[in-house]
Amino acid sequence: MRVGALVLPRKRWEPFAFASPSLVLIAIVIIFPLAYSFWLSFRNFDLSVGPESEFVGGANYVEALIRDSRFVNSIWNTAIIIGPSLVLELLVGLGLALLLSRIGRGRPIITALLAIPAMVSPVMAAMAWRMMFGVKYGAINNLGRQLGVIDVYFDWFSSPFISIVAIVLVEVWHNTAFMMLVLLAGLQSIPQELYDAGKADGAEGWRSFWYITLPLLKFTMMVGLMIRLIDLTKLFGLIFVLTFGGPGGTTETVAFSTYLAGFNDFRMSYAAALSYIIVGGVLALTLVFMWVQRIREMRAA
Amino acid sequence: MRKLAILAVVLMVIALAAWLGLPVAEVKAARPYEGTTIRAVVNAEYVKYSLSLVEPAIYDKLGIKVETEVIPLDPYVAKTLLEFNSGKSPWDLVMFGPSFMPDYGRHLEPLQPWIEKLKLDFAMDDIPDVYKKLMLRHEGKIVSMPYDGDVHIMFWNKAAFERADNKKKFKAKHGYDLAPPKTWKQWDDQAAFFHGWGWDGTDRKLFGAGASLKGNNYSYYWWRPRFFAYGGQYFDAGMKPLINGPAGVRALEEMVKTIQYYPPGVLLFESEEPKTMLIKGEVPMLFSWTSTGKRVGNEKESLIIGKAGFGIVPGAEIDGKIVHRPDLTPGRSMAVSKYSSKKEATMKVLELISDPEQSLKIVMDPKTIMDPWRNSHFKAPAFRKAFPGADEYLDAILKTFPHVVPDPILPGASEYMRKLSFEITEALAKRKSPKEALDSAAAEWNKVTERRGRDKQKALWSEKMSEMKSVGIEYHPDWAQKAK
Amino acid sequence: MAIALDRPRVASRSARTVRIRRAVGLALTWVTIVVALVFFLGPFFWILTTSVKANEDYFAYPPVWVPADASLKHYAGLFTRSSGARYFTNSLMISTLSMVAALLVSLPTAYSIARWRFGGGFLSMVLLVLRMLPAIALIIPLYIMYKLLGLTNSYLGLVIVYTVLYVPFAVWLLVGFLRDFPVEIEEAALIDGCSRLRALVAVVVPIIAPGLAVVALFSFIATWNEFLFAIVLTGIETKTMMVLVTSFTSGGTDMFYGEASASVVLGVLPAFVVAFMLQRYLVKGLALGGTKG
Repeated sequence: MRVGALVLPRKRWEPFAFASPSLVLIAIVIIFPLAYSFWLSFRNFDLSVGPESEFVGGANYVEALIRDSRFVNSIWNTAIIIGPSLVLELLVGLGLALLLSRIGRGRPIITALLAIPAMVSPVMAAMAWRMMFGVKYGAINNLGRQLGVIDVYFDWFSSPFISIVAIVLVEVWHNTAFMMLVLLAGLQSIPQELYDAGKADGAEGWRSFWYITLPLLKFTMMVGLMIRLIDLTKLFGLIFVLTFGGPGGTTETVAFSTYLAGFNDFRMSYAAALSYIIVGGVLALTLVFMWVQRIREMRAA
Repeated sequence: MRKLAILAVVLMVIALAAWLGLPVAEVKAARPYEGTTIRAVVNAEYVKYSLSLVEPAIYDKLGIKVETEVIPLDPYVAKTLLEFNSGKSPWDLVMFGPSFMPDYGRHLEPLQPWIEKLKLDFAMDDIPDVYKKLMLRHEGKIVSMPYDGDVHIMFWNKAAFERADNKKKFKAKHGYDLAPPKTWKQWDDQAAFFHGWGWDGTDRKLFGAGASLKGNNYSYYWWRPRFFAYGGQYFDAGMKPLINGPAGVRALEEMVKTIQYYPPGVLLFESEEPKTMLIKGEVPMLFSWTSTGKRVGNEKESLIIGKAGFGIVPGAEIDGKIVHRPDLTPGRSMAVSKYSSKKEATMKVLELISDPEQSLKIVMDPKTIMDPWRNSHFKAPAFRKAFPGADEYLDAILKTFPHVVPDPILPGASEYMRKLSFEITEALAKRKSPKEALDSAAAEWNKVTERRGRDKQKALWSEKMSEMKSVGIEYHPDWAQKAK
Repeated sequence: MAIALDRPRVASRSARTVRIRRAVGLALTWVTIVVALVFFLGPFFWILTTSVKANEDYFAYPPVWVPADASLKHYAGLFTRSSGARYFTNSLMISTLSMVAALLVSLPTAYSIARWRFGGGFLSMVLLVLRMLPAIALIIPLYIMYKLLGLTNSYLGLVIVYTVLYVPFAVWLLVGFLRDFPVEIEEAALIDGCSRLRALVAVVVPIIAPGLAVVALFSFIATWNEFLFAIVLTGIETKTMMVLVTSFTSGGTDMFYGEASASVVLGVLPAFVVAFMLQRYLVKGLALGGTKG
């Protein structure tokens, strides 16, 4: 690796000094609040009761994992939303990246236009789609009625299944572009010589995609998927504006139910406990993900 | 030379000061608080808009400017309580939902001492009883004034009910005359009857009735008038939830049956959607906030202007008498923060925005969704002429007020309501049976009560219960059977 | 084309098939791209037209796709009644400051990780966990801390939070750039007697400037888009655009669809601007950083 090639002697304090600005900031802005909210998660701090609180031990954690069926249900919902979203974002993103890599003129501007949804905040995306889905003022229903495709109104949230489909659709609209950009970048870093060599061996079209592009793109895909996975566990803005977790509890995600505990029930301690459970879960998930990845690499080697 | 110059300058300054001072002094008499700016906090842009309607008057009469901060509705309570808990607040005038009085009350300034000190007149006799008795006080002291009436009335499209063909068909099918529903039974019959065809004589596919059933409390407000009409009450004297008793289950079962006659998407409807469907002539009837009436009467968008009927929300027939239990939702009140450094000026502003004349401006404006709340609003000649049918509309509100039911005004009200609303939507989305849903809501309610201290809640509730009794609301276990 | 030129005579027939197939392929590509553009940009069109519609047209049927009497009155209302100008400038200021701060903080850190593997895997892990944290775990303690320090309702308070929140992603991107950067150039500068810092500023920065631009503008967008911290940590003077949008969307929009859409239009404006500014670097920026571990 290149890093090893740095032969010049360095002063011992330098690495630390260079990293210190962010270390200091993180220490102040993250470590203290994290420690504080960890402490809070063992108490019963409730905004509507007042600033005082008492120690309650692990009661919040026990309640969350055993007695709060709604929270457990929201873990399930989150998984159901994340799964198809990741798959679709990867497939559509890859498709778009491949298409874009085939066109010459106009590529930058088209890439930029396609990338716009990913730069919009979840609240904005949700607002835009609320106005697409809306029964009375929604563009989709309006257009469908005008074209005679839709009888009266189509309800995008009429059943648990369709609601999940609608949320996944918006999520895919919102974040596919991120995957597309990352994959396009990955595609462009594959040296042309490899394809030329492949062609000489008779690998063209699908075969070259299967034997050259895909294996070399694997790492990029994994990075992209992992970032999306981490961000999706925080899925909140879309739910907040589009469905508020409904109908029933169909689209309540973990991040959203944490918000409800804190900001609607004012139980800040409970919300803190819930967020620690989420972080723990996500961390475990990521570690497993990385571990599987490493084992596979070792096998391949 | 130099002395002369100094003298000249001094003289000039004095002259200038005199010249400037005169008009200032004059204005000062008219605008006693000239130069004061107070800060208000409200929970939506449309509330800020409504305040802006009276800001000129506040400045003209008092010389006070109002700077309004908007915090989005959903995190509003949490954010304001967070600020108050720190023992300070950046705001002088505070908007809040009176149903959350137990959470807010201790941060608000009692009005009585200021009424005496500044000779304020809040025209208390002009406020409906239910507000005066239940919604304005914390620990017995008045701390707030209403801002938004927030009650439900029923609206209907006369085209549906008066068409001869419809009347004939309905009579043939149900054996009684078609008329705007008086009971929930009639409402359900009619929703079923109207759904799916052009009851206005066209060949459009129209809907049976409108409703707002989203899980953030809407579903609860659409369940409650049935529940109370069937004799329900939130808790018994021992804080045991009564919501999963026969009244609650019957109410929810009926809703689950009728939801198929509502427009698609109703499970996520907030207030706006069904209102629009009503004024576009797509639903024949709807009960919702009274502000709907202003849209019904807006000639620019309403298709049912002059053809709309207004009345009290349906009820239940108990022993030959119909009992109506329409909603009084959290509402909006205004109060002065205990931590304000400009209490006097803010009290004056509170007096002015809630005085009959100024508050009328707010509730009459077609763009605000603030509902009328003063007795004089209902009788105001200008309001009665505001749009065709305004007379009937205001009479309906007047008739509604004596019957309205408030929220469970207890510590944790927000959580009780939200948990129940959620479970109701679970049943409406057919993920649970009505009984199951209400049972788990009751279990959640018990958890909240335990967490907040059962004895403390019990003491506060017995107070509330007697207050509710004083306006005629109590538990009738036998009504759920009797109600027709 | 190249194939046809290489073998002019032998396969003129197959060359034609190849050409036709190519043309069809290209046409299909473009059709798909147009469909994708419609899907990804359509919602913005509807929001834009709603924001210039008259109040009565929001719910009109047949729908008003392109309002004949478009007016900017909702924008005017936004700027006069809702102090939209203040929200907009606040967002601009806070996002710009956080962008600068995020760069200043994360570049040296990334350098330290890239060149000296500072902190081993541990620091990278910390940064990863940072990205996982739900806002709610931080928000209340931060508020309490800020209240003590007098940082609520101040630009500084928000800038600090946003900087820290964006550091993980920025560092992750920058480490990639720096690893790709030819060490030899830097060593030459060091041999000439430059200090590390100087070498970084004078030699490395100019060369990786496009990448830095991408990191900077992404951070701008991320800050612009955040709303939960912006609701809790701000007061009247420091509210941002996202808070304004949420004030319209949360709790019944009713007769304010025009203003709501106008606020959304203003809220997504930076995304469009940034996308156009970055169009040449968008992919390149991620190519350097995103694909190498």
